[in-house]
Amino acid sequence: MTWISKTTTFFGLVLLAHACYSAQEHSALQSFRTTSAVNPSSPGTTAVSLPLDISLETLVATAIICFGLALGTPPLRPIQWRVWAGKIEREGEEGFMNADGEVSRDYVGNPFKMLETRPGFVDIRRQKKDFAEWVRSSGEKQEAQI
Amino acid sequence: MAPSLLHPPSHLSPAAALQLSQQAPSVLQSSPATVSSAPLISLFSTSESPDLWLKYENLLLSCLRTGDEHAAHQCLDRLVARFGEDNERVQALHGLVKEADANNTGALEIVLKQYDAILAENDTNIPVTKRRIALLRSMGRIPEAVASLIQLLDFSPTDPEAWSELADLYLSQGMYPQAIFALEEVLLMAPNAWNMHARLGEVQYMAASATGATDAASQKYLAEALKRFSRSVELCDDYLRGYYGLKLVTTKLIKDPPKPAVKATDLDDFAVPTTSTIEKLNELATEKLSEIVRRYTAKERQWHGYDEAEIAAARELLSQDASQTER
Amino acid sequence: MAQIPVQTIHRDPQLFYWILAPITVVMVLTGILRHYATVMMATAPKKMDQKTMREQRSLMHGINLRNNYHVLSKRSFNVRRDALTAAFESGAYLKNPDQRGQAPPNPLSDPSAMDGMMGMMKNQMAMIIPNTLIMSWINAFFSGYVIMKLPFPLTIKFKSMLQAGVATRDMDPRWMSSISWYFLCIFGLQSVFNFILGSDNAASQMAAQMNQMGAQGTPQMFGPGVDPDKQFQAEAENLAVIEHYSVLDDVETRLLEGIRA
Repeated sequence: MTWISKTTTFFGLVLLAHACYSAQEHSALQSFRTTSAVNPSSPGTTAVSLPLDISLETLVATAIICFGLALGTPPLRPIQWRVWAGKIEREGEEGFMNADGEVSRDYVGNPFKMLETRPGFVDIRRQKKDFAEWVRSSGEKQEAQI
Repeated sequence: MAPSLLHPPSHLSPAAALQLSQQAPSVLQSSPATVSSAPLISLFSTSESPDLWLKYENLLLSCLRTGDEHAAHQCLDRLVARFGEDNERVQALHGLVKEADANNTGALEIVLKQYDAILAENDTNIPVTKRRIALLRSMGRIPEAVASLIQLLDFSPTDPEAWSELADLYLSQGMYPQAIFALEEVLLMAPNAWNMHARLGEVQYMAASATGATDAASQKYLAEALKRFSRSVELCDDYLRGYYGLKLVTTKLIKDPPKPAVKATDLDDFAVPTTSTIEKLNELATEKLSEIVRRYTAKERQWHGYDEAEIAAARELLSQDASQTER
Repeated sequence: MAQIPVQTIHRDPQLFYWILAPITVVMVLTGILRHYATVMMATAPKKMDQKTMREQRSLMHGINLRNNYHVLSKRSFNVRRDALTAAFESGAYLKNPDQRGQAPPNPLSDPSAMDGMMGMMKNQMAMIIPNTLIMSWINAFFSGYVIMKLPFPLTIKFKSMLQAGVATRDMDPRWMSSISWYFLCIFGLQSVFNFILGSDNAASQMAAQMNQMGAQGTPQMFGPGVDPDKQFQAEAENLAVIEHYSVLDDVETRLLEGIRA
């Protein structure tokens, strides 16, 4: 959420709260007036609708809140399979980071990668050997650099 | 940035694996040593999440790889404490640790015997069955591995991982038609897996260029490989591997074009596309490959995801192509 | 600020400590008890033997082929179709091939099917018994009281919900009787249980009821009383009528057009 969307939403919420308070005050005053009226026998005054400015304020406030929330949404994810897949291949993890630099939780990379890596069949002894060799070769490289 | 601990680490580079296993002390320290499932205690302690156990499992794999046996055993102990010795996955992981610890063939034989004993008790224990097959393969006993894999696939034919392993085993033996069959089974389970389409294309290309393939057969393979690579690119924009394969196949098809005599032998098979289509595809692949290589090398935003080695291979292919056209 | 005149009833403040709190505490504790009772009574899902697994997964295999045949070339599809239909029709994948053609066993007399029924019964019992007990306890001790006033206004429709057991006409719906508090606890403690026991607890009966409704559809495929041989025959027929096309048929033209566009 950017600060623009935050301020817009906040403003909308303040407006909405004000509208609610006005409506509550209005109805309270209205019922007070009818109960303490000089002639309580006349029922015509009880059904007074809300003043137009309060309803307008409510509508405008709702629209502003919606607008502010819509401003603050993150960019949409691709919904076409090939675009989504291409994004995974091209951008890797970076394409799925949110504003804080964290990779979003449901990102799994290529979901079909495990069909090729096959974690259930992993050959741990070979991996161990490969790793030992990698350590040795990178160590030699470093020595050569020194 | 270190890769996430939530995904299986078997495909990572040694450097990434080292990075992961160096996280082991902090991960092990930050989470409680035992999570009890007793009623009263679990009311007051923080609730466990499935992520934690996944983390332990992946950490275990990375630590075994880098030889950090102490941390690996700690992970295993915690998993055993939570799920018990009889859990199928824990049994498989236990075997994995023993395999990594074993340093001679005798020790491996003992592990194999233990797997057999577990399987004799419970013949639907799929994780342990898979470990047993992997161990057989690692010990070089390929025929036995293939036989038990086929037996596994007989009672569980909806396991794409196992089919994929079978394809790999057959491929290592040079049995291309069988490998292709197994890969097709994988695709039946995961019809949109673009990497598997590309893989099948690669195997078909290998089968076509293998010695001993007749002209007709090799052409059939090439035609289907072309289609498979096209499909993988269709499923995934800018798929380096798909374009690479597409370029290889089309170059080969342009170099020795199909003889009209063997064309259209069988309606069941795919026909090789027309020469102009092949040339267009070749152009397209070249163009895309050079774009990918250029943008990756220029470190443009949103083009960082490719594998360094794959880019290098693509560059080499492109330069070969360029030198040929100059001549 | 304007004020509406409020209805006041003088209550003993001790009501709060001796009725409201006990009902709430008892409800929470029964929820927790029910959770652990269900966990203890739950039987581990029965292990499938290899033959059952083979039977079910082979059927799934056939369904998979039927759904995704388009990734194959025509030749490989035909090979698979012939093999699978032949095997399905001859009953090669059946768990016990000798029982072909016999009527499926009655699910009520089948011991393997009884497990599921017993599990359902147990769950139902764990729901019903504590609820009945508490309901009668509340009825015996606390019926007919007004115990609290809600801090927010409500419309008249809520009267029947909040004032069960208190037959008055003109009382403000904000007043609440003890039995209504009990009902509110039943429906409203869900999030408390989520907090205490974790989100997949067995104490929340609403979720359990939803599960029972949802579960009607899915497990019937391999459930008791279904004849696997018939399923295999039907699947073989389904496979036989497929008219094959392949997604690879014109893929290169599609690709050329798609990328240019």
